[in-house]
Amino acid sequence: MNNDISAPQVETDVLTAMRRPGPAWLTGLGLAGLLFAGGLALWAYQIMHGMGVAGITHPVGWGVYITDFVFWVGIAHSGTLISAVLFIFRARFRTSFNRAAEAMTIFALMVAGLFPLIHLGRVWRFYYLFPYPNQRQLWVNFRSPLIWDVFAVSTYFLVSLVFFYVGLMPDLAIAARHRSGRAGKLYRILSLGWTGNLRQWRHYGRLYMFLAAFATPLVASVHSIVSWDFAVSIIPGWHTTIFAPYFVAGAIFSGTAMVLTLVIPMRRVLNLQEHIPIDHIEAIAKILLLTSLIVGFSYVIEHGMAFYGENLFEMEQFRFRALGHYSLLFWIMIMCNAVLPLLLFIRRLRRSLAFLFVLSLLVNVGMWLERFVIVVCSLARDFDPYNWGNYLPSPVECGITLGSFGLFFAAFLVFVKTLPVLSITELKER
Amino acid sequence: MTSMVLNKSGIYALLVISALLIGLTEFGLSGKPGSLLLTLLFWSCIAQGCIALAAACELVNARWIASLRRELLSLYPLLLLLPLLFLFLWPQLDLYPWTDHPTLWLNRPFFMLRNLAILLAVFLAGRHLAKRSLDGQTTGPAAVIYLLLFVTSQTLAAFDWVMSLVWPWISTLLGAYFFTEALYAATAASGLLMVLYFQGKTRDTSLAVGNHLRDIGLLMFGFSVLWTGLFFAQFLLLWYGNLPEEVGYILDIISNSPGRELAWLFPLALFLAPFILLLGAPVKQSRHMIAAVSCTVLGGLFIERLCLVMPTVPLHAGALLFYNLLLIAVALLMLHSSMHVSASAD
Repeated sequence: MNNDISAPQVETDVLTAMRRPGPAWLTGLGLAGLLFAGGLALWAYQIMHGMGVAGITHPVGWGVYITDFVFWVGIAHSGTLISAVLFIFRARFRTSFNRAAEAMTIFALMVAGLFPLIHLGRVWRFYYLFPYPNQRQLWVNFRSPLIWDVFAVSTYFLVSLVFFYVGLMPDLAIAARHRSGRAGKLYRILSLGWTGNLRQWRHYGRLYMFLAAFATPLVASVHSIVSWDFAVSIIPGWHTTIFAPYFVAGAIFSGTAMVLTLVIPMRRVLNLQEHIPIDHIEAIAKILLLTSLIVGFSYVIEHGMAFYGENLFEMEQFRFRALGHYSLLFWIMIMCNAVLPLLLFIRRLRRSLAFLFVLSLLVNVGMWLERFVIVVCSLARDFDPYNWGNYLPSPVECGITLGSFGLFFAAFLVFVKTLPVLSITELKER
Repeated sequence: MTSMVLNKSGIYALLVISALLIGLTEFGLSGKPGSLLLTLLFWSCIAQGCIALAAACELVNARWIASLRRELLSLYPLLLLLPLLFLFLWPQLDLYPWTDHPTLWLNRPFFMLRNLAILLAVFLAGRHLAKRSLDGQTTGPAAVIYLLLFVTSQTLAAFDWVMSLVWPWISTLLGAYFFTEALYAATAASGLLMVLYFQGKTRDTSLAVGNHLRDIGLLMFGFSVLWTGLFFAQFLLLWYGNLPEEVGYILDIISNSPGRELAWLFPLALFLAPFILLLGAPVKQSRHMIAAVSCTVLGGLFIERLCLVMPTVPLHAGALLFYNLLLIAVALLMLHSSMHVSASAD
């Protein structure tokens, strides 16, 4: 633990991490930027040539774009979990991750928000998603979970952004003290006149607690609503009551894995080993294990219940998932999400950074595949065999997906060099 | 006035006598299997939940549990009562519709075997955990094993004991809903225990207990929101899908009195009452309020289980009252004798 690190040392270490981008950072940003630029170009290509360039067609009308949307909303979940929920539970290990996780939430939500627009095709009609008074008296369907999504995700984004910004304010004032010139001026403006007096701290404490309490139910509600995009329909494999908690647990699972993917290299590259101790990483690994168990439990229940009820359509759907056209993806998903994380029961592996990093990558592959299997398989095997058909993502869809990863990683890399990656004030308290 | 304190053998003897009394009543007087099934559902929720709550708290190093750890863990012998009572369901399995058309999963021998096996496994794991914890040994692996078995057992209770009453009605969430409710019940039981056990303590103890009471209040508040989320997630989808095979069972519950009235009552008891009453900070440190909310929650859970069983299984009100009063007396006696439950006290 780092209880013996002095307060000035904390400031110096965290602020030093913000300076002098090295070759690793520049290379990473270059690659991420390239991916993003490629994705952007492909989106422009899709806009020019129409949705025909994407692989989605009858009967699979929801493909990789919806998979990406669900995946990125899921990634956004652990930010609030680590920051708000663990704050309420007074878990001290959150201080090693909360800032990076909150930033990750913001970037993941920004990326997620793009996918309904990409899937829309005619993106210039995006405002149709919002209820607004109009001469034609056309209103969105308030009974559709797709419109609930618009409200849920935008609320979550706003609350997460405010939460992130409020937590940053004392650190921005510290950064302003240490920086001169334009950067110092900008930090001073952004810190909104923070001086750190008793009155400000009192208000800050109350606001932070209030926001944490407000954000906690949002963690559950957002992904529950995303799950209802599927579950309110009566399509086999989608219409199942466990979907809401299953999606929430899956979202926290993938988000926690992404935190490890980002924090483990960040810790090393920015020399923050003393501030992000192994004990804290182990605690995050335990959350990963717990959520993996919940996800594994949901798999067993989902598949077991399909055969318990002896409903022909459900049985065929789950047989198709395990043994049909997408069976390889299904089994990779099972391995990555439910089997390999069980190794975290071994303490030595929970404390091995190399193992955790590789596992976090595999979990993210598994969770992306999980969303793909859920979205595509149910549409590919509907009630009527005449309506069956398989789907193959087109290069445009794959390129845009890679572009989304480029945008996410580029945003995160810019964040680590522009804002304090750890909460200086909370580290001092620790 | 002499105090009746039982040692471990006395507690097990008491459990066997209670089981026999319930068995005699079940086959001699009641003749309606609903009372036994409901008693099993309610007490498995409380007994397994209390140990699970203690196990979860040990794993996350929760400090509030310190005042109640011994009392919660001392309830572990109650876990043995569950397989004993479950045996009495064997001659009454006709209440399940699938007995006419057995399937690979739903057939008499396998149904009895798997449920007895898991109930016994939960008892053994609970006993192991309680012993280790009360002896001050490390409990990590024992707590993990108990929690895994607890989740499996509550899930089986949901799917086998309740859902198969109306086979092929399905709600995949019911298992998770049941084990969450068991933890909710255990939190409410902790609230009651806190009030019962720490009435006339010294000033220092009062301060610690006040903090722990607040933590229990917070947990109950959190569980009320979580319960509502699960309740809503489950019934929203059934309502939205509007499939005859799904809504039929719900309509059976809410169409006739008293199910119609009770179906309104338990969401009030499990969500609205704890949510509103525990919203203020000072309230969470009031013993009377925590006791009132705990009783409301436990009452709400009982009513909810009653609603699930009532439309399909006949109940004998007198037998139901007798079973539950008897088990309350047994639980109180066990708590009173909790000093004698740990291995070191043998």
